[in-house]
This record gives sequence, C-alpha cells and structure tokens, in this order.
Amino acid sequence: MDNDIILDFKNVTKRFPGVVALDDVSFSINRGEIHGICGENGAGKSTLVKILSGVYPFGTYEGSVIYNDKELHLSQSSIREAVEEGIAIVYQELTLVPTRTVGENVFLGKEPVEHGLINWNKLYADTQAILDKYQLDVDPRATVRNLGVGKMQMVEIAKALSEDAKVLILDEPSSALSKAEVEKLMEILRGLKSHGITCIYISHRLEEFFHITDRITVMRDGKVITTQPTRDVTQGDLVKYMVGREMKERFPKGNRKPGEVIFEVEGLEAADPNNANRKILDGISFNVRKGEILGIAGLMGSGRTELVLTLFGEYAKITKGRIRLDGKPIEPKSARQAIDSGLSLVPEDRKRMGLVLIQSILKNISLPNLDQFSKFFSINANEEMQASLQQAKSLTIKAPNLEVKAETLSGGNQQKVVISKWLMSKPEVMIMDDPTRGIDVGAKFEIYKLMNELAEKGVAVIMISSDLEEVLGMSDRVMVMCRGHSTLTLPIAEASQERVMALATGISTN
Amino acid sequence: MSSSVTEMKPAASLGSRILLAIRQNIQTYTLIIAVVVIWAIFAITTTGKYLDPQNISNLFRQMSVTAFLSIGMVLVIVTGGIDLSVGKLAGFVSVVVAYLQFYVWFALFPNQLVLPAILSVICGLAVGVLAGLLQGYVIAYQGLPAFIVTLGGMWLFNGLLLLVTQGKTIAANQAVFSDIAQGYIPAIWGFVIFVLILVFLGWNVFSSRAGKQKYGFKLRPLYLDLVGAVIPAVLILAYILSVNAYKGIPVPVLLLAVVAMVMVYIANNTRFGRYAYAIGGNREAARLSGINITSVLFRVFILMGFLCGVAGVVLASYVGYGTIAAGTGYELDAIAACILGGTSPLGGVGTVPGALIGALIIASLTNGMQMMNFAPAWQYVVKAIILVLAVLLDFYFKRSR
Repeated sequence: MDNDIILDFKNVTKRFPGVVALDDVSFSINRGEIHGICGENGAGKSTLVKILSGVYPFGTYEGSVIYNDKELHLSQSSIREAVEEGIAIVYQELTLVPTRTVGENVFLGKEPVEHGLINWNKLYADTQAILDKYQLDVDPRATVRNLGVGKMQMVEIAKALSEDAKVLILDEPSSALSKAEVEKLMEILRGLKSHGITCIYISHRLEEFFHITDRITVMRDGKVITTQPTRDVTQGDLVKYMVGREMKERFPKGNRKPGEVIFEVEGLEAADPNNANRKILDGISFNVRKGEILGIAGLMGSGRTELVLTLFGEYAKITKGRIRLDGKPIEPKSARQAIDSGLSLVPEDRKRMGLVLIQSILKNISLPNLDQFSKFFSINANEEMQASLQQAKSLTIKAPNLEVKAETLSGGNQQKVVISKWLMSKPEVMIMDDPTRGIDVGAKFEIYKLMNELAEKGVAVIMISSDLEEVLGMSDRVMVMCRGHSTLTLPIAEASQERVMALATGISTN
Repeated sequence: MSSSVTEMKPAASLGSRILLAIRQNIQTYTLIIAVVVIWAIFAITTTGKYLDPQNISNLFRQMSVTAFLSIGMVLVIVTGGIDLSVGKLAGFVSVVVAYLQFYVWFALFPNQLVLPAILSVICGLAVGVLAGLLQGYVIAYQGLPAFIVTLGGMWLFNGLLLLVTQGKTIAANQAVFSDIAQGYIPAIWGFVIFVLILVFLGWNVFSSRAGKQKYGFKLRPLYLDLVGAVIPAVLILAYILSVNAYKGIPVPVLLLAVVAMVMVYIANNTRFGRYAYAIGGNREAARLSGINITSVLFRVFILMGFLCGVAGVVLASYVGYGTIAAGTGYELDAIAACILGGTSPLGGVGTVPGALIGALIIASLTNGMQMMNFAPAWQYVVKAIILVLAVLLDFYFKRSR
C-alpha cells in the first residue's frame, strides 16, 4: 500500500472541563485513500473534524497534526484558513442557500467579478467544468431547493472541490440518501480518488465502509482503538471495536405477549394539504394490539410519515375512513386531541419537530405533561423535577444534570429525551417514526430495549423505519405501505426482506 | 464519558461555583453594570445634579410608561411576534380616559373624585383589553402576521385618538386621578413596604429550601441562598432611602413593581408562560407537543393590550392631558428596552427583569441627556449608538461562548 502520508495525527489530546474528547490520538491517513472513521456518539469523531476544520485552532489542543509534512497551524477559529489549506468538509446538515442556483452556491463568496459586476457566464462555465471533472450530474442553473437531497450533496461536494480541496471530509453523508443516491455518491468518491483527492468518510452505516473505504479507523471514548485495511475486518469486528463488547444480537429479544387489538385504522383516506385533488393517503387499514410492536415498512415517498402525522391530527384532513382507539372512534384534529386520546408521536426529525433545543432537558421532558404538575396556574417545580429525573434515570440519559440545554446532547440522548417526554404522558399507543436514525450502535440497542420494555408494559408500539433489518428485527407484525396505501400486514414469521420489498415497490400484492 | 444524570454532583469548589453563577447571569450583571456606568458618567458631567434624590425619583417615574409596555412586549417577542401598536394604543387609552375625566364623570357624579378615577381606570383597562382581543383574534385565529396586523392597529388607534380629541388637548389633571402617576407613597409606608419585602424574600428562601428538602433534592449552602436574597434587599433599601429623601416612592413605580412581579410569575411559573417560550423556541415541536398555539398567542396579545391600558392610564395621569401626539414612538422604546434587556428578536429568549433594566437604561440616557441640554436630534443619535452597541456586544458574547 502506498505509504505517502497526507495527514498524521501525533498524540493529539483535546480537553474540555470535565471531559477528555480526544485522548492521545495517533493515526495517519494516506494520500489518495478513502479512509473511514467510525465510532459511537461521543467517540471523538466530530472533535477530530473540528480540529481539521479550524474550529479548534492550533494551541487549543495538545500534540500535533502534520498535514503535507508540515505542522497544521490553523489560527483563531478561522474556517477559511483550513479551506485555503485544502481541507474541505461536507457536513451532514447541508449549508446551501436553497433559493439560489447551483452555480451561485458553488461560488458563493468568490464569484468571478469583472469591472465590479459578476461575470455570470464565467461562473456557470466554471461550475460546469467542476461538475464535469468530477462527474457530478447536476444542472448548474438549477435552483437548489428543487433538487433532491442526493443532488444537493453533490453541490456541496462541488463547492468543496472548487476550492481545490486536497482532503475532503464527509460527515455522515448517507443518512438522508436513498440507496440509489448512496451508490452514486460512492461512484463520485471513487472518481475523486482517481484525481488524487483524499477522502475521510465518517458514518454510522458500517456496511458502506466495505463498499468504498481502503482503511478504517475505529474510535471509542476519545481514543483510537485500531486502524486497519478494510479487507482485514468484518462488520462484526467493527461493532466489537466500537462498543468494546461482543454484540451477539443486534436486536434484543423481547418478552412481550401481545393482547387484544387496541388501535384500528380502517379505509383511511386523506387529501394532500397542498393539493386538494391529490390523495396523500389512499386506503390505509391496519390494527395494532396491546403490547405488540407493529413495524411499518415502505419506500421513501410511500406516505408513512404523512400517515402518522395525520393520525396525530397534524397534517392532512381525513376524507374517508375511521380510527378507533380502545373500541371508541376518535378523530384527532390536533396534536393536543391526539395526546388526550392516548396517542404519542416520536417524530422523524427530533431537532426540528421533537425538541426545543435552546431549552433545558427538564423543560423538554415536561412540556406536554405540565398538567401533571400544576394545580390552578402554578407549576410545582419540585414535582416537575422529580418526575423528570425519574424518566431520565430510567432511560439512562447521559447528562451532568437536567438543566443543560438539549442542544448539547448527543443524538442518542436527544432521542431519549423525546421518548421520555412521551413516556411521561402514559400513552396507550406510541408511534415512533425512524426512532434510531442518526444514532450510534450502542444507543440504538438501548432504544430497542426501551421499545421492548414499553411493549411489555402493554403499550402498543408502532415503529416506522427505513431500515428493513430493523423492521424485521424488532416487529411482531409488519405493515407494508406502497404509494399511499397499505398493502398487507404480515406476521413476522411470514415476512422476509424480499417479500416486504416486493410489496413496497408494488411488484406484488401478496 | 459524561456522568449519568443519576449522579448530580455539585461543582468542585466555592470559587468555581461563584464563577459559574456569574457566567450564567452575566447578561443581567452586564446590564446592571451598564446602568451604574451611565449614572456615573452623567453624575460627573452634571456635577452631581443627576444623582439628586429628586432627579432619581423623576427618572423612575419617567420610565414607568415605557416599562409597562416593555414587560408586555417581552412575552410577545418571546413567542416570535411583535406588536407595533402599543404606543398608539396607550396614547388612545390616555385620550379616552382624559375625555371621560373631563367631559363625562363630573357631569354624572358632580362631587366625587375617587369614583371617577376608579371608573377611568376600569375604562382604560377595558379599552386596552378590547384592543388586545381584536388584534389577538386576527393574529392567532386568522393567522395573519403580527407585524402587519399591529401596524394596521397602530394606524387605527392613531385615527381613533384624533377622532376622540378632535385635534384638541383634553385636561386630565383632576385630583385623585392625577395621583396615579404624580402621587407619592409617604415615607413611612415606604419602610413598611421594605419590611414586607424582606419578610417575603426570607420566606421565599426558606420555603423553597423546605420544598427541595421534601423531595430529596440537594440544597445549596444556606449562605448562598441568603446572599441571593440580601442583594436585592439592599438595592431596594437603597432605592427607598433615596426616594424617601424627596417625597417617597412614586405611585406609578409601586404599580410597576407589582405588575412586574405578576408578569414574572406568569412567565416563569405558569403553563401559559412555559408554552409561550416553547412556541418561540421551536414552534413545530411545540405544536407536536400538544400546545394550543392559537390560544396561547391570543392570550399573549390580550395581556399586551391590558398592559397598554395600564400604560395609557398612567400616561394620562402623568402628563395631565390627553394630547394628540400621545404615545408616539413608544413602541420603539418598548422594543429597544426588551432587546437591551436580552430578549432575542428571534423569539424563545427574554426576561421581564431584563426588559425593566433595559427601560431603565433608556430612561437614564434620556434623562441625563436632557439634563445636559442635548438637542433632541443628538439624543436620538446617542440612543441609536447605544442600542446597536449593546446588541453587538451581546452577539459577540454569545458567539465566543
């Protein structure tokens, strides 16, 4: 293997009050390779990235980072400097201006100017040149918000490359992409490799590493556990390194005994709020029993999230069909009504829909449940704290105390806060939309255990997931959606990946 | 890596605990320091006249109208909205009250003084609440943007104000009524109030400690809690001694204190207050948590309207007249006071005490510049510079955190 090292971490240590984020980290990245980095949340991956990007400038950490045989001396929190050195980062959250075109975004801040005016022809020509060079299939004049997530990411990559990047760091690039888009991304990265660009690929999706990376570094608790050529490890090895223990089963076995049907949906139809002529839900029928986990599978766009939001009273108007909870018909027209009936929803996007990030964990947990602690007008702060502490403890939320802001928590802990807020409302039906998205392996396992515990207590759990393995690993029954309508509900014993896929794509109705 | 929430360890040493408390409250302390600095500067430039008991007494009285408006505005901005009509609404209330005082009550009740004053207050508050109901309904239930609705409201109230006054100034300086804004609490009652406050603070410390103990929560050391109670007590005592040297606590300041305490309670201890901050923090998440956003927004504007009513009554009594220019520009002072006091224009963040100190800063500046005979034009320039500087510093602090 070519041993031309482009980035060398030597004994890098980064301390914060009370926490050592990086602990004597030493490893190297070869020029032109695709180097994967994996690790649980809190392992130190993002701290590494922040050192490389200049957020933590030289002098705020111990040890040294050797870049191109010279010590990296980024100063004063200047991201610009890192970019000028040739280190570019594509973040999980896209940083494009949606209302402007691709070309404008790529050259944002460095538009080619002639006599004080922007030379649009040159801008678009240069954009096209970059796109062609790296085989990115995007129209430079397209408005960004009309593009799919996959193409938006290509624009981000083009933007990074337009600065003549030598090292491209991709932080969780695939979490919002479809399978086809992930394939395309891999192709693009291979193309970059052939141009001599080094890529650092950070992801929770371990299986991707085996398609694309040359070597993988595993981090845990701020330390580098190992760096190995990809061909020398298996996914199981990676998990073992990440978690430090043998994960015999990815999905914990539950001890639940589903009871009688408690929640039924019959023939549900609803109109698209943006287009009254279009049916966003076109015939949904299923039921859930007490103490069971019902998985809802389907492709992106099949209407799963729209379904649960509508069930929660917060999306589309129901035009036909019935919902029954505990035998009684309900028609929630708002989240409040849904909650009062006994439903709760852990939404798909916890940052946007599940948490008030600037507020404390305490306030987030108690928000829908304030009625439990207030007589007349006053909130009893002590009762609120006590009840919230109890929730936090039983879900093992990792935080110094409940007063810290939700935005400081890791993804897994944030999700736990969302779940505990709903647990406190003692629902009969708990709907979870992609509950383990963007969460590391260890925390995922904890959430699966939680789901089991919930079901064992008699709650009916509905879980939507795009991860077929997850659906098949956790559910008692699987309902498959296809283009806005429900197809079949299969008992787990009769559900296989192929059968579910066939139903989800509409190839079969069986 | 970080400890589980089950082990709530207190911070290491006394020194670091104090530092932590300072850092958490740095915004409030910065504001108080700003007030002190401004007072010091003016004291020097006016060779001490600024700190005359009479002037300090007037200063607090001058800030009261804007302060009433700004403590209502905090909640409005916290929910992500804005109310541009508060100035003219307060002005409208003041002329309505003046009209009633001058033309109506004394015709109906020839020899009464107290009854008309009471009726005027009731009517003034009612007008404010009605206006709040109207604007609140359109904003919350019809979903129109607060900016536009209250802009229209401002014009509406201005027009109504001119209709009521018919272009004339209406006297509202009758006895008892004028005591509302121009009266003083006799010195001895001032001390009684201070003793009551002391008792309240002490009771607060002990009852909250008892409460925490009952639930098994770790208590802060007693002396820290006591220090937290002693500091405000000392400040209040200083204020009372100072105003007693002139004529006593001005009535509107007492009113302001009471109203402010109620607003603080509403903001911090009620579900309504919690919901308002949650809506401003993340509207989508608030909705999905079952908060009735419409109802909360409606009530926020009703509350604002009520406070405009209070401000309008005090304004009429303070000026002694209902004038055609009543309330002009007050909304901007109110908004500036909130922002200076730490309210974020984006919503979700802001406190009532902060807004009060913001109002005090603006009043201190105006009062000082007037005493130095600044031309009004320069007063605007100075206020503008201070406001922008303050926001700049605030952003700077938040960014480097």
